[in-house]
Amino acid sequence: MSVIYDHFERHNHGEGLKGRTTHYCPGCGHGLVHRDLAEAIEALGIQDRTILVSPVGCSVFAYYYFDVGNTQAAHGRAPAVAIGHKRANPNSIVISYQGDGDLASIGLAETISTAQMGIPITVIFINNAIYGMTGGQLAPTTLMGQKTSTSPEGRTPAMGLPLRMAELIAQLDGPVYVERVALYDAKHRIKARKAIEKALRIQAEGRGYAFIEVLAECPTHLKMTPEETEVWIKECMEPVFPLGIKKDTIVEPWWDAEQTPNFEAEKLLALVGASKEAPTRHADGFPTHLGGQDISFKLAGSGGDGAQTAALLLARTAINEGFDATNIPSYGPESRGGTSYADVHIAEHEVLNPAAPNPKVLVAFNMPSLMKFAPTVCEGGVIIYDSTVIEDISSLPVMAKGIKLVGVPLTQLALGLERPMVKNIVALGAIQAVTQLFPAETFLSTIRTVLKDKPALLPLNEAAFAAGMRHASLTHA
Amino acid sequence: MAIPTSTRPKPFLEAEYCKACLRCIDACAKDCITQGEHVHPGTGMVPVLLDLENCNGCQLCIQACPEPYGLRPETEREVNSGDFELEDPAALFGPRASHLVEPVDHPGIEIPIPAREPLMLKGTYASAIGALIAGCRHVFGYPITPSTEGAELMAKILPKLDGAFVQAVSEVATVNMMYGCAGAGLPCITFTSSPGFSLMLEGVSYMIGAELPGVFVNIMRGGPGLGNIAPEQADIKLACRGLGHGNTHGIVLAPATPQEMLDLTRLAFELSFRYRNPVVLLGDGYLGQMTGVVRLPKTMTKPGLPAWAVWGDLEHRRNLISSILITEVDLETHNIHLNEKYAEIEQKEQRAELYRCEDAEIIVVACNTPARMAKGAVETMREKGVKAGLFRPITLWPFPIDAFKSLLPKAKRIVVVEASPGQLQDELRLALSKAELNHPPISSVQRFGGMLPEQAEIEAVIQEASLMMEEVKA
Repeated sequence: MSVIYDHFERHNHGEGLKGRTTHYCPGCGHGLVHRDLAEAIEALGIQDRTILVSPVGCSVFAYYYFDVGNTQAAHGRAPAVAIGHKRANPNSIVISYQGDGDLASIGLAETISTAQMGIPITVIFINNAIYGMTGGQLAPTTLMGQKTSTSPEGRTPAMGLPLRMAELIAQLDGPVYVERVALYDAKHRIKARKAIEKALRIQAEGRGYAFIEVLAECPTHLKMTPEETEVWIKECMEPVFPLGIKKDTIVEPWWDAEQTPNFEAEKLLALVGASKEAPTRHADGFPTHLGGQDISFKLAGSGGDGAQTAALLLARTAINEGFDATNIPSYGPESRGGTSYADVHIAEHEVLNPAAPNPKVLVAFNMPSLMKFAPTVCEGGVIIYDSTVIEDISSLPVMAKGIKLVGVPLTQLALGLERPMVKNIVALGAIQAVTQLFPAETFLSTIRTVLKDKPALLPLNEAAFAAGMRHASLTHA
Repeated sequence: MAIPTSTRPKPFLEAEYCKACLRCIDACAKDCITQGEHVHPGTGMVPVLLDLENCNGCQLCIQACPEPYGLRPETEREVNSGDFELEDPAALFGPRASHLVEPVDHPGIEIPIPAREPLMLKGTYASAIGALIAGCRHVFGYPITPSTEGAELMAKILPKLDGAFVQAVSEVATVNMMYGCAGAGLPCITFTSSPGFSLMLEGVSYMIGAELPGVFVNIMRGGPGLGNIAPEQADIKLACRGLGHGNTHGIVLAPATPQEMLDLTRLAFELSFRYRNPVVLLGDGYLGQMTGVVRLPKTMTKPGLPAWAVWGDLEHRRNLISSILITEVDLETHNIHLNEKYAEIEQKEQRAELYRCEDAEIIVVACNTPARMAKGAVETMREKGVKAGLFRPITLWPFPIDAFKSLLPKAKRIVVVEASPGQLQDELRLALSKAELNHPPISSVQRFGGMLPEQAEIEAVIQEASLMMEEVKA
């Protein structure tokens, strides 16, 4: 059998009898399924595409035997590892070979989610109703009343009832073929062999995910002879785990086995939005009239006020002028409506500290933001607030000296343009008017760049910026 | 009338491979097989006996035998087990597991990137783009704030590059998908945050054991437990000392700017493949969200396929990705190999940025975003005439002790600034101790729970350290 190694080099370094015998106990079902799997791989001619993922459990050493690409996975994670392999090389045939502890207990999340993904892999599930490698403990598939080392008086309902995986997997939409087979006599061994080959063929043809559950013998831990185990499976297990095809859907081949990733530099650059054109610069130099080589801003409001977008535009504008800038957003876990503020730094050379605990310029979109941050504004700083929503500023806390307080009806001006959402752009206009940060054209070209894919929104935003600027210059003057 | 002889081969059995499970006896309709009577001296088993007089070659016994070299068709009987002896070439030159060529290493290539204007990117995006430039086309992940944007960008871009973004059922599944993809020899990355990183650590240990590359971007948030989504640096211990169970280490990179998020992600892939080991990129929540100027490098990588990959083809068929070594001696040998790798990394991969350290008497140690506050503080204190300098470890493991050592002769005070209860300081102290270095007193600025050290706090501690130095002088 060419898919089984001539010599088991990985089994005790191939020394002695271990070079030609498996590590399985006498009569174990794993050996039979290994044979079926090896024969099916050979029959389909897929040996040079196959990757076998060995699990944790008795079949942890499946890689001793199969002359295919081999990966050994963590307990329960074989299907996730299989997905990693299949995604890396879509042309590979990936088999996730797992026992009942691995697949039906610790790996349930991976088992079910992978089945539902429906990506063509083949899962071989060995159900022998007991933990083998750890020495005969309760498995999710242990029968009611069955004694194991962790159910010494027999399985009771409080331990959960036996989990019927084939039925569970079959009711998912992802899998295309699910069958439960057994090994207890010649007829069923032939059926098992055919089912495994079919499951692999479905994958090889790119049709989808297939799941074969095998009722297998564990004479050692069931504490029976192999022959008694065969009878037990037939008489006790089969009534709980009925054999047969649970799902068999005809699906046309859909998996693209030839997909290879793209490594064209131009394509990557286009996707990340890199531009060849340098932005036009309008400023003569850094706005040192605001004091120093580093200016900090805080824009604060409720989620949805647009503080984050305004902050981003502010930072981008500085960068377009050839300066360094940073922007740190900070908002609560709510997607909308929570507190939302952003710290922006603009520096002539390098922003050292991107946080703005004592901003030079504060834009407050609501009263709580103004109350919270106004006292943090540094001496000689500027506060712009939305006078539509903040009518009375008599209760403001103590602030630093020389603060310039400018109320601009941001909301009202935005409403005048029939789009309340542009109040953040109105605020940018106000910042420009009050601070003379950069020439107005700098902000406008940033807005044009950002909206290059949505030209319809450009006039509105330009109008909003102009409105903010106009109103603030009047107020400020 | 004679029964026609079947053309199907009859079975044969090499008695030492029979485990005496007796499953073949029941399978045989002609009762050709019986329970043996004598213990086989080599195995201690009692192999079955074959009497093939009535055998019709149905082979059902072979299908019932769980051992691959148990009952087999006569046609597979090896030549030298007959009456005359021919030497089997395989036996003559030693047995081979697989009749395959040695796998070949296919190196990656560097592709030039045409010049472009700088981008304005948030940290997580910069890291994602760094991964794309490093040749990564496979991303696995589970959403968690504040790292999710990296995955979101990849989910948008990768399908257009015929790569794959897979949203896994959990972080546990994520790291195991990476195990599979990395096992196939391809670069892969995930973006996560503290609780998610905790969940991945089992898989990281397996990756280290199996010697698999992979990049883990952990945008650290406030903990313990669910904590909050604000920035913290309290996973330094986890990344430097606790990458899962067993003898584990991985290079830990600590960027401080969006630009470094790109550059160090790219470096992470290079190191990860060079050492066949996971690399952790530790950022804080601020860095993940912070937007800044990012320049693209001049080249990008098209990855090759390493010789060790389990790709699923003929050339790589003999490979195995595994972290299990059941024999004690083998596992010890493997650990010695890992230790040698760790030692090489400790020697070659230390990285740090030194800012105004030439004549510094007060060494401020900080990484990630707090290093920027610290840089601001150093600048301010310099203006006040205090000889302060910033030592910023870029690799947290290995700690850049060699560079730090060079500052010790002039150093009179050390100030460690961090958003954690001393985890960075512990790394520094451990490195000093291992290098058997004496050091001046260490002060600390520590914030927790999503609060970052503020520049003014750092300045105050530097000022205090400076005054203490004056007192010592007086």
